[in-house]
Amino acid sequence: MQQSRARLFKEYKEVQREKSADPDIQLVCDDSNIFKWNALIKGPSETPFEGGVFQLAFSVPEQYPLQPPQVRFLTKIFHPNVHFKTGEICLDILKNAWSPAWTLQSVCRAIIALMAHPEPDSPLNCDSGNLLRSGDIRGYQSMARMYTRLAAMPKKG
Amino acid sequence: MQSNPDARVDNADAESNLTSVEVSLIDDWQNFRDDDVMQQQSDIQAVESEKIPFVGDKEPLSSLADEYKTGSPILLEKIKILNEQYAAIRRTRGDGNCFFRSFMFAYLEHIMESQDKAEADRIKANVEQCRLTLQKLGYTEFTFEDFFALFLEQLDDVIQGSDASISHDELVQRSRDQSVSDYVVMFFRFVTSSEVQKRSDFFEPFIQGLTSASVQQFCKTAVEPMGEESDHVHITALSDALGVPIRVVYLDRSSCDNGSVSVNHHDFAPAGNDQPSAQNGSLEAISPFITLLYRPGHYDILYSK
Repeated sequence: MQQSRARLFKEYKEVQREKSADPDIQLVCDDSNIFKWNALIKGPSETPFEGGVFQLAFSVPEQYPLQPPQVRFLTKIFHPNVHFKTGEICLDILKNAWSPAWTLQSVCRAIIALMAHPEPDSPLNCDSGNLLRSGDIRGYQSMARMYTRLAAMPKKG
Repeated sequence: MQSNPDARVDNADAESNLTSVEVSLIDDWQNFRDDDVMQQQSDIQAVESEKIPFVGDKEPLSSLADEYKTGSPILLEKIKILNEQYAAIRRTRGDGNCFFRSFMFAYLEHIMESQDKAEADRIKANVEQCRLTLQKLGYTEFTFEDFFALFLEQLDDVIQGSDASISHDELVQRSRDQSVSDYVVMFFRFVTSSEVQKRSDFFEPFIQGLTSASVQQFCKTAVEPMGEESDHVHITALSDALGVPIRVVYLDRSSCDNGSVSVNHHDFAPAGNDQPSAQNGSLEAISPFITLLYRPGHYDILYSK
């Protein structure tokens, strides 16, 4: 508990110091609870998520950083490795490949990389995975782009 | 790297078998979310953890023979041979961290019993080198510094004569306390990873023999994550990085063609060892103060007579 708090505080200071270092990620700690974080990440360019801003919710366990943070999308997203209803993310570093060398900030970077490079062979969203696996790139991109417009972009007028 | 042809270092995955059996029992496993799977895994770990602490008590070697009473005659024969040289065994939990955990306890216990301050100072210099290597490799300092600090603290505390000095009982207690034990294990994982990456040209062919991953990928997925089992690559890298020789005694069912039984061991002697005894190049000259017993998939600590 003490160890995780101390580590998170270091991450907090780092985030404050490097605020402008990565314009695609805005990581914010809950005012009253250092174990709860939120992030806004920009959809990577040349993907169906371009132009969208996606919100992530972090819940950090007491065993952090020996155990990974729990992260999920709060913004609806159509992606093979994100559960369409719960926003849960299938990413190895959030599970068995986690190590304390990762930080909340670098987890955000890994999620952005996952958005650009989906892994359709381990899908949480089977519809999305099937489109990619059957080679229907256009279908996948259309669906993903539609949900980006609907859920991750400011409403027009 | 010296490789013992008889050595079974194929990393039989004894621990994860339990998980796969459990999963296959569930027909509709697709309905389980990742959270559930992870929850189940940690439940299994909780059950396992009640059976044996991270580091067990010292047991006479006869407890090993009892375990195989009805087992393979080759194993019983080998245990008899072990009996001539070794007095006791200290078991560690089979949670994928057993090599690092065994090394941790055996090393700190050795420093405590020998009060070898020169050795403690020597390893500190090596630890400092590892810190610099990680920095050079681009690791963020705050991601590993806590683990380094905790190990150095344990090292200082086993040296007697200061206010922080601890007893042998306290060392055992700390080795069973997750907030110390896992942090020191993680420290060794960082050290191992830094050495493998620093000498990636040397380690690459051995890693290619195990997996198709790149050196960096190997470190990210098979060295740094807790619970990933150790192989000869890990042992070589840790021994080299810290300059600590390690003897691994192999207890498996292999035997010679002529039917005679002997117990193999392999000494991991640090590369670039600056101890005078190593200069003549003879392995016999090195006498490791850490001896581990390897049974396929698991490491425990052995005590010489």
